[in-house]
Amino acid sequence: MRRSTLFLVAFFSLFILLNSDTRPDSTDTSKSVTQEKVLSHSDKTTTETEHHGAAPSPYMVIPFLLLLLLIAIAPLFFQHFWEHNYHRIAIFLGLIVTTYYATVLNDFVSLKHTLVEYLSFIALLSSLFVASGGILIKVDKKATPIVNTLFLLFGAVISNVIGTTGASMLLIRPFMRMNKDRIKSYHIIFFIFVVSNAGGALTPIGDPPLFLGFLKGVPFFWVVEQVWLIWIIAIALILAIFFMLDMNNKSGAKEDQQYSGKIEFKGLKNLGYLAIIIVSVFLDPAVMSWVPSLDPLPVGIREIIMFGVVFAAYKTADKNVLKANEFDFGPIKEVAYLFVGIFFTMIPALRVIADLAKENSDVFTSSLFYWATGALSSFLDNAPTYLNFMSAAMGKFGFDLNGGAAQTQLFLQNPDAIQYLAAISVGAVFFGAMTYIGNGPNFMVKSIAESAGVRVPTFIEYIIKYSLPILLPVYAIIWFLFFRG
Amino acid sequence: MTIQKCIDEKKSGFLYGNRLILPFKGRFLKVIVEKDIITDFSPSSKGINIVEEDYYTSLYFLEYNTLRETLSEYENIKIIVVEKDDNIFDVTKHKKLAVYKTDTHEATIEETEHDILFIE
Repeated sequence: MRRSTLFLVAFFSLFILLNSDTRPDSTDTSKSVTQEKVLSHSDKTTTETEHHGAAPSPYMVIPFLLLLLLIAIAPLFFQHFWEHNYHRIAIFLGLIVTTYYATVLNDFVSLKHTLVEYLSFIALLSSLFVASGGILIKVDKKATPIVNTLFLLFGAVISNVIGTTGASMLLIRPFMRMNKDRIKSYHIIFFIFVVSNAGGALTPIGDPPLFLGFLKGVPFFWVVEQVWLIWIIAIALILAIFFMLDMNNKSGAKEDQQYSGKIEFKGLKNLGYLAIIIVSVFLDPAVMSWVPSLDPLPVGIREIIMFGVVFAAYKTADKNVLKANEFDFGPIKEVAYLFVGIFFTMIPALRVIADLAKENSDVFTSSLFYWATGALSSFLDNAPTYLNFMSAAMGKFGFDLNGGAAQTQLFLQNPDAIQYLAAISVGAVFFGAMTYIGNGPNFMVKSIAESAGVRVPTFIEYIIKYSLPILLPVYAIIWFLFFRG
Repeated sequence: MTIQKCIDEKKSGFLYGNRLILPFKGRFLKVIVEKDIITDFSPSSKGINIVEEDYYTSLYFLEYNTLRETLSEYENIKIIVVEKDDNIFDVTKHKKLAVYKTDTHEATIEETEHDILFIE
C-alpha cells in the first residue's frame, strides 16, 4: 500500500510541477487569467460563456471509457489482477489525459479545476466514511416488517444529512444485527436500494453526483426543492414492496426472546465530527462571502476541515468501536484511487459531450436525460455520468460545465433546464441502485454483509432477481409521472 | 487442547503467508476472510485446505498470498467451529471465533463479542 500511496503522491507532484513550470509560458495568458477568475467560487458574477482552452481530440475519451469499462467488468472477470493493480491503472490512465492537457493543449486551468473538485469530493467522502466508522449503534428491538420499513425510511432521510456512504456505514450493521435471526438477501438489497442510493437524492451531501453538481454551482437546496415529491413517491413504492416481502418472512427469533427496546450508541463524539463535516460543506466562498479563498491552493477551508476530521476522528475513535465495526480504510482507498483516474480522464469526455449536445440539442429531452443518465449510472459510476449529462444539458443551452458556477446558475434560470437537471439528478442517484457497481456504498454494504456471514446475490442475480423486477417498474412510474416527453 | 481451553487461556495462533495455524482441533463449519464465505472444506475445495496435525490445525487459504497483508488492524478471520467431542447438530455448541493479526506472526483468537456482527 505504501508504494501505491507514493504513486498517488507522484501523480499530484507531476501535475503541480508541470503546472508551475509551464503556465507562465502559456500562449494565451489573458485567457488564463480570466479562467482563473472563473475557478474562484466567490466569483459568481463571471459570465464567460466560452469553453476552457482548445477542444481535445475525441480519441482522448478512450482512457475514460477504458477505465469505466474496467471498473464494470474487471472485478467479475479478473478479480485478483484488478484488486492488485486497479490503482496503477487508474493513475496511469489519468496521467495520459493530464500529460495531454499539459503538453499538447497547454490547458492548466481545466486540470487545476479538476484537481480542486477531486479534492473536495474525496474530502467529503473520506470524512463521512471515517466519522461514521467510529460510531456503533445497537438496536435491541424485535425486527418486524413495520420496524424494518421504518428503519429503512429513517436511513433514507438520514442519508441526505450524512451521505449515502455515511448512512450505509452507520446503519447496515444495526439493521443486520436487528434481523440476525431472520436475515435474508433481500434485506441487504433493499438497504442498498433505499439507504445507499435512492434515499440520498435530496441534498448534495446525499450522493456524490449531487455534490459534484453543487461544486459546479447548483445551489444547495435546489435539489430538494425540485425532487422532493419524486423522492417521496419512489421511496414509498420501494418500501411498500419491501414491507410485503418482509411480511412473508416467517423465520425469526424464539417467541420467548426478550427485547429491551433500547437503542445504544457508542462513539457519540463522532456525531460531533459529522456535524462539523455538514457545517463545513457550506464553508465555501461562493456560499458565504466571508470565507477566505485559499487560491492558488487546490483546497479551501472546507477541505482542510474535512481532512482534519479524517485524522481527528480516526485518532480519537474508541478502539473497541473500530474493532466492532471491523474498520478498514480499504473501501475509501479504493474510491480515492479510482476517482483520481475518473476525474482526470473525464475532462475531455465532458467537453466532447457538451459540444455534441450543443450541435444536437433537439435530440435531448427530459425522457432521454432520465433514461440515458439512469442506464449509464446503473453500470458505470453515477458521479461522472451525472457530470457528463449535466454537461450535455448545459451544452444544449450554450453553456459550458467547465465554465464555473456562474454558468451553471445562468443555465438554471431556464425552466426547461430545471426539468432536465432534475431528470439527470434523479436518474443518476436512483439508478445507482440497479447494480452493485452503480454507486460506491453498494459494494461497501455487500462487503460488510459478506464479512458478517450473510450470503448476498451475485452480480447477475442482483439484476435479474431484484433490480429489474422491482426497481425498473418503480423508476418507469417516476418517468411516466415526471419526465415523460 | 480443546477450543474452550484455548480461549480461556488466551492461546495464540500463527499467521504465516496464506497459512493460519490454530492451537486446537475441531470441526469447521464456516470460515470468513474478507468477502469470502467459505463452507466447502472438502479436499477439492478451491478456497481452503484444512490439515490436521498432532495437536493443532493448519488452514491454508488458497486464494490469498499473505494473510497478514490482507487483514487490517481491526479486520479478522471469522470461524464457526465445534469441539471434536461435541454434537455438531447442537447449535448451542457452535463456537464463533475471530482471529486478529498482531505486530508479529502471532494471531490472537477471541470468542466473538456481542458487538461483532457474525451471522451464522
